[in-house]
Amino acid sequence: MRAWGSRVLSLALALGLCFGIEFLFGAIGEAYWTRLAFLAGLFVVLSVSLNIINGICGQFSIGHAAFYHIGAYVTGYLTVTFYAKFGVASLPWLLMLIVVGAVAAGLVGFVVGLPSLKLRGDYLAIVTLGFGEIIRIITINISEIGGAYGYEGITKIHPLWLVWFLAVCCIAVSRNLLKSAHGLSFLAIREDEVAASAMGVNVTRTKVTAFVIGAMFAGAAGVLFAHHEGFITTENFKMEVSFIILTMVVLGGTGSITGSTLAAIALFGIPEVLRGLKDGEGNPLMITAAAFVASILAIVLVVAAIKRLTVRFHGTFAKKTGIIFAAIAAGFVAQLILSVGLQQIPALSEMQLEVSKLRMVIFAGTLIVVMLLRPQGVLAHHEFSWELVKKVLRINRPKEASA
Amino acid sequence: MNGPVLELKGATIKFGGLVAVNNVSFELQKGVLFGLIGPNGAGKTTCFNLITGVYTPTSGDILFKGERINGLQPHKIARKGICRTFQNIRLFKSMSVLENVVVGGFLRHKTGLLSALTYMPWSVNETEELKKEAHELLKVMDLDDVAGVRASDLPYGKQRRLEIARAMATKPDLILLDEPAAGMNPYEKADLQKTVRRLRDDFDKTVLLIEHDMRFVMGLCEHIVVLDHGEEIARGGPEAIRCDPKVIEAYLGEAV
Repeated sequence: MRAWGSRVLSLALALGLCFGIEFLFGAIGEAYWTRLAFLAGLFVVLSVSLNIINGICGQFSIGHAAFYHIGAYVTGYLTVTFYAKFGVASLPWLLMLIVVGAVAAGLVGFVVGLPSLKLRGDYLAIVTLGFGEIIRIITINISEIGGAYGYEGITKIHPLWLVWFLAVCCIAVSRNLLKSAHGLSFLAIREDEVAASAMGVNVTRTKVTAFVIGAMFAGAAGVLFAHHEGFITTENFKMEVSFIILTMVVLGGTGSITGSTLAAIALFGIPEVLRGLKDGEGNPLMITAAAFVASILAIVLVVAAIKRLTVRFHGTFAKKTGIIFAAIAAGFVAQLILSVGLQQIPALSEMQLEVSKLRMVIFAGTLIVVMLLRPQGVLAHHEFSWELVKKVLRINRPKEASA
Repeated sequence: MNGPVLELKGATIKFGGLVAVNNVSFELQKGVLFGLIGPNGAGKTTCFNLITGVYTPTSGDILFKGERINGLQPHKIARKGICRTFQNIRLFKSMSVLENVVVGGFLRHKTGLLSALTYMPWSVNETEELKKEAHELLKVMDLDDVAGVRASDLPYGKQRRLEIARAMATKPDLILLDEPAAGMNPYEKADLQKTVRRLRDDFDKTVLLIEHDMRFVMGLCEHIVVLDHGEEIARGGPEAIRCDPKVIEAYLGEAV
């Protein structure tokens, strides 16, 4: 019975967290921030679900946006056609659509996965890439769902808590999978297909299952996206989106749920935060340049600090926190010195720059730097756990213990 | 059951014009240590791949406990009770030693994926059971002290032993070892000989092994079949094989 108690408790905590997020952003009351929180939640779902396929099962799929696309368009069509007629309350309707969208995407995942998952590595990547484009081009050519102009008039239903609840579900499912023997068979396929099948693991079935689970969550995310925007076009689901999701998974550490989650929030957040530096509003070039260099430096130092901490760095808690804070402080100091220094050059201080154009350059620069420093991803194969927290925070006294 | 555990009846496989295994027939009685030897390229590993379903024979039959198994997929054959190790070690490298063995026991896992994804207590319990079994097996194989270590971090000899442990976790009736002693030093080889003998004596397994090291095979196997260029050239006990002129010729060339 205790086992069930803790399950109910975690479910309650999850719901509490999601309503907490909704309440928090309701209190802030800015539509812009609420929208960011919503989209960040969607990207968490997308990246954690792709992690099931790419990270856990090791199947290199780069067409994840296609499933997102299917969920959005299928349920968008249902809402436009039937919602007004049926007069159902909005929340049950949306919940039903999430199921429909997930099943639709899952079915497509099954049909595509069955033949293509016999391929490995690069070949599978090419097939999934092509599949993503096929879905997009088919949509462009169906005028009933807006074609190339985009599909409008989808009733907006978008409770913020629901998207985060979906994210929590996706994370929980991945975590439960990894805790079970089933999850180990998924990992075994990633490690060595031939050996896995020699141990009695049905390789094809397991791969298709991973593909379908990932597709279903992406489909569900698509449903929420369509009903958040009210207007969707194929531009929302192009190849670039698939690549961003893939980048989140790889950058966070392929296979790490914690990594995919944090990378989704960070990679979605960084360009949005940089958008805050608006064009021409007294943002001279030097400040931009300083911010650019300083942010890269700060990231480098923080990543280096994390690297040392995970490689069994012996030091006190104070020393460890000190390193991280020093890294962040060094970034700030560098920014300060650079901006003061650059101000001394008159020609530079008068130049104005459209910062938004540099936004994606900064974003890309960050990616390159992180990948160079830590090719296995920021968290590599590590997962968040209370043991890890204890380990990192522990004040090591190895000398006393051995004496 | 009194019939042979494994029976090859004229098993043949052709890759294009190349006949890799030609009309090979032998049978394994329950509880034997059976050796399959031959020079490089003789078709020994191909033979294993035929038995474990990696390849389907072009002609001929493979029977396991009287049942025809040629053409079945590898995972189905594993479920019937044949398990193998690999010539070039194929462990699940970034997984722990314990997890490797748990995957071996996964074919007996009954709870569905849905209960696993929702963390149902019965699924959790069954996984715990598998882990407990794996721990016991590791103890028997003298690997329990490294249960939490990444498989790729193990020394070579232990990796070989882990591969055998993983195969044992499927609880097979017949276990196939593909060059288990390759790359081992004499101490490790002696150790391995003991382990293989225990598979038969303590666990009642039938063992078919491929090996290059003649001394290793001669000291271990009761029956030996020698292949060369995909064909059987000799069979019998270790003594008979040692003196067989055809075997000497195949291994050392005619000049001896």
